[in-house]
Amino acid sequence: MKNLRDVFLLIIVLILQGTIVNRIAIAGVRPDLLVAFVVYFAWMRGPVPGVACAFTVGLLQDLDAPGPLGLNALAKTIVAFLVAKAGFRVHRSNLGVRFFFFLFAMLVHDVIYFGIYTGGELGAFAKQFLFVAIPSALYTTIVVLLLLSTAERFSRTLLLTDEV
Amino acid sequence: MFRLLFARRSDWAAFTVACVLSLTLMSLGRGQQERAVWFIQHTILSPVNAVVGWVDAGVGVYWENQKLKKRLAQIQMEADAMRTDRVENARLRRLLDLSQENPSDLTAARVTARSLDRLGGSLTIDKGSKDGVLPERAVITPEGLVGRVERCTAHEARVLTLLHHDCAVAVRVGRSRVDGVLQWEFGDRPTLNLLYVSAREDVKKGDWVMTSGLGGIFPEGVRVGTVAKVGIAESGLTKEISVKPAVDFRSLEEVMVYMPEGSGHGPRMPALEAVAPDSVPAPAPPQQNAASPALKPSPEKARTGPGTQASAPGDSANEEVR
Repeated sequence: MKNLRDVFLLIIVLILQGTIVNRIAIAGVRPDLLVAFVVYFAWMRGPVPGVACAFTVGLLQDLDAPGPLGLNALAKTIVAFLVAKAGFRVHRSNLGVRFFFFLFAMLVHDVIYFGIYTGGELGAFAKQFLFVAIPSALYTTIVVLLLLSTAERFSRTLLLTDEV
Repeated sequence: MFRLLFARRSDWAAFTVACVLSLTLMSLGRGQQERAVWFIQHTILSPVNAVVGWVDAGVGVYWENQKLKKRLAQIQMEADAMRTDRVENARLRRLLDLSQENPSDLTAARVTARSLDRLGGSLTIDKGSKDGVLPERAVITPEGLVGRVERCTAHEARVLTLLHHDCAVAVRVGRSRVDGVLQWEFGDRPTLNLLYVSAREDVKKGDWVMTSGLGGIFPEGVRVGTVAKVGIAESGLTKEISVKPAVDFRSLEEVMVYMPEGSGHGPRMPALEAVAPDSVPAPAPPQQNAASPALKPSPEKARTGPGTQASAPGDSANEEVR
């Protein structure tokens, strides 16, 4: 039942990412709900489900991404693993903690992604990181926190909390 | 050993496997990667893509609908504004025509307020003594007489309309040249009555009523209204005549104040004969040579000025009316 719910939630996030996200872009900056989902999932479920989810989601994203196949999968796998390992020591319901946790996790993801994507070229990496990664991470964090708070207000069963 | 490793360190094992798989995919050649992508997209992901496409189309329609609704509201507002401008433009053109006919006699003014009391009958205009508007000046529109200025400040003036009891007007029936006084009476049935007309006088329903110039306030020949009802008073000596005003007082927005120290010709209104008697008259186009023969004052009047003396039956203007 729990797995079904996770799959259902993943499908909803995939649909949101494929539909709404393109329409709420601000100056070309789009939130990446899939990274946020991976971070949240790994944080709540632990390393093994988190890594499995991250790899699957990353691979799905790679199908449409300009980079090499597997790059998103690798970046998300690493981030999910780190989040799952570090998340046990973090207070989950605090808004400030959530904000910095999401933001930091997404920035780590983008460091890995753009680091490999740009082939270690510092100028290109800095440009991508400054103009794509940071705004996108901030935007995604805000959107995700809004979605989470809305979901928490209406139904606790939608959330993945306390099920590790 | 692997089983032991997976049993004890399943998290690390999962992580390692995922990383190795990812790196393997990354290390594939471009052709192999494309084949893998094609395979995944056309087997696993095709239903997901279909769902996403369907939802996206739905969301797109919703989004577009919202945009179109907003745009429609904007266009509706613009159309309303244009319609208002068009009506105002037509009204101002008619005022302009009248003003051009009488360049030195009339001053245009905008109605800034209407009376708030239940009896009504007064307006406030945005011209005052600084603009030459003084008490007892006639106020007209292309449709006809509005009333007179009661009092004024430097930049505003209060106008008593025909629908005020204190605004009595000396008038004449255009067809039969019968004189009388037009006055608003606020009784059980508020009406604009033509008073002091003998029972033997010839007044019929549909006759035009215009100012006679008697009294010195209103210039002669300004249209006032049409006779709506004719009866005999209980005493049998006078007629009871109701007049329907030519001006629609509910929709007044601009008026002209008559300035007698101008050329003194008085306002030349559109010809009465051209207008259906029972309807509010549409103004005739401006004419170069004495637009309305019915209302064009005689040369004598032009010299003496309108409203300064009564027009006797038989003078040129009256003859033309007949």
